[in-house]
Amino acid sequence: MSQLEVRDLHVTFGGLRAVDGMNFDVEQGEILCLLGPNGAGKSTTLDLICGKTQPTGGSIRFQNLEISQMWEFERARLGIGRKFQVPSVYKELTVAENLSVARSVKPGIWHALTSLPVRNSAKMREILDLVGLADKIGEPAGNLSHGETQWLEIAMLIAQDSRLILMDEPTAGMTIQETDRTARIFRSLKANHTLIVVEHDMSFVRTVADRIIVMNQGSKLAEGSIQEIESNEAVKTAYLGH
Amino acid sequence: MQSRLLYDIIGLALFAGVILFGVPALFGYDGFELNTFSRYLSLAIVSMALALSWGTAGLLNLGQAATFGMGSYAMAMHLKLKASGDNLPDFMSWNNVEALPLIWAPFHSLTFTLLAGLLIPAAVGGLIAIFMFRARIAGVFVAVITLAFLVAFQLVVIEQQGLTGGQNGLTGLAPLVLFGWSVDIYSLSFYYLVGACLMIALVFGLYLTHSKFGLILRAIREDSERTRYFGYNVANYQTIIFSISAGLAGWAGMLYALVLEFASPTYMSVSFSLAIVIWCAVGGRESVLAAAVGAILVNLAEGRLSDVFVEGWHLLLGVLFLMVVMFMPRGIYGVIVDAGRAMRRKPVSKKEAQPFETSLNPKRES
Repeated sequence: MSQLEVRDLHVTFGGLRAVDGMNFDVEQGEILCLLGPNGAGKSTTLDLICGKTQPTGGSIRFQNLEISQMWEFERARLGIGRKFQVPSVYKELTVAENLSVARSVKPGIWHALTSLPVRNSAKMREILDLVGLADKIGEPAGNLSHGETQWLEIAMLIAQDSRLILMDEPTAGMTIQETDRTARIFRSLKANHTLIVVEHDMSFVRTVADRIIVMNQGSKLAEGSIQEIESNEAVKTAYLGH
Repeated sequence: MQSRLLYDIIGLALFAGVILFGVPALFGYDGFELNTFSRYLSLAIVSMALALSWGTAGLLNLGQAATFGMGSYAMAMHLKLKASGDNLPDFMSWNNVEALPLIWAPFHSLTFTLLAGLLIPAAVGGLIAIFMFRARIAGVFVAVITLAFLVAFQLVVIEQQGLTGGQNGLTGLAPLVLFGWSVDIYSLSFYYLVGACLMIALVFGLYLTHSKFGLILRAIREDSERTRYFGYNVANYQTIIFSISAGLAGWAGMLYALVLEFASPTYMSVSFSLAIVIWCAVGGRESVLAAAVGAILVNLAEGRLSDVFVEGWHLLLGVLFLMVVMFMPRGIYGVIVDAGRAMRRKPVSKKEAQPFETSLNPKRES
């Protein structure tokens, strides 16, 4: 049984078939990269999995549980985490508070009412060391640079500790060195997490991807390892237009 | 930052010192002045309650006066029954009401009254909140819906003359008897009773804002969408804080009816509800303590200035609000926080080399 099974997934936005009959499986502990031209439906696929968008048809099974009709917070509780394309951290909260919100092992109200937020734990320092934000722990997130904001959001996803993490362009706006570091972090996450990554940076994809799915016009164009994809005729046609 | 908690505790201690010892001494324990100040303190509770929903969670409740009014009517109904003895309350006979209406009967009991004044507003607030937040209504629409509720509720209270005394409200109340103590509203003990209620409300409010619950609410205020993807049921969080805020407003309303010795539909007017927003904004909506101080200061100013400028007072209040919005959007609290930050600003000690390439990014250190 695969961790995530997507079957015949459809969504239509006012006549536009953004995702049109997607089928794929994701295995526990792999990094799957979604590639494709703009408007191919990559981000929409992530939106459908995490609950931001409701599908018009098809099924999404996570750990053998049908999730396509669940609320987004219910899916998050099952273990699906999401990083959006635009870095979305809480700018008015400090770095530590951001991580404390993200660390949602017990998301219920009663627990929240009867506990104080963790502002400095060994786990938190470990995560911040990993992304190099250890000395910013008390800083409001609004004071961070763009690159640091990206790091913070990755740190938040690590803190959330979701089994399946959906990443939308995690390296956008990063320098080459930062991208390399992100790739190293992703590979270290693989042991306990499954990742679906939408990314345009081919060198990044080459380093991290176990498997690639190329999308075009809402459906799957090709699937396979990086070598298979790079030699695939249909992919060349879609990208180069001949 | 743990230091925020420390500052809040110091602030609360100072505030408690001034309210409990400074103010009575300043007014020479004069009964009339203490009564006036008790009124400000009860209004401080409704202002801090608004800071909880508006400041912490970003839910601007323009209907705060409705739940405040419910509390005041609960208390007034109890005292009216006490004043009427075995007879029907006077206004009921004027309205040809033959027997005591069913919803009045339980208000003979003080315990029921005290619980009702807290729990009925909380339940009503919670009910409105469930409908709003399940439907993911946010921002200005929350303000519009709560305002509409306030207007409708006030109309109902005025219309139902036989039940509520209509436009006149409930007057001619008996003094409250609490554990055999007949409350004299011009006494120091009564002042301390209201003061203690305010302090309890503030401690509760500060606990809420510093708990994980408060942190999640601030996260929801900033980006409710994002917070859902961390597994938090945002609607439940919003409903709970909205309901707590409404309950506290009801509690304040009970005290207010005691202080003024009557309950009136003007407590549920739009202008009163907007005044609460102004107090809260002047003090600083991010802090429950600052919102309470804001309510006391504005009302103190109103008490002094409205004697001098009888007609122009509301104009002055409007100008004050505009000034606050334009020049200090975070209220007095924001001014103090910024001043404190400016004083602590010191050269940043350069730590050892950055562990990673993040040092390539432009640094902005405070």
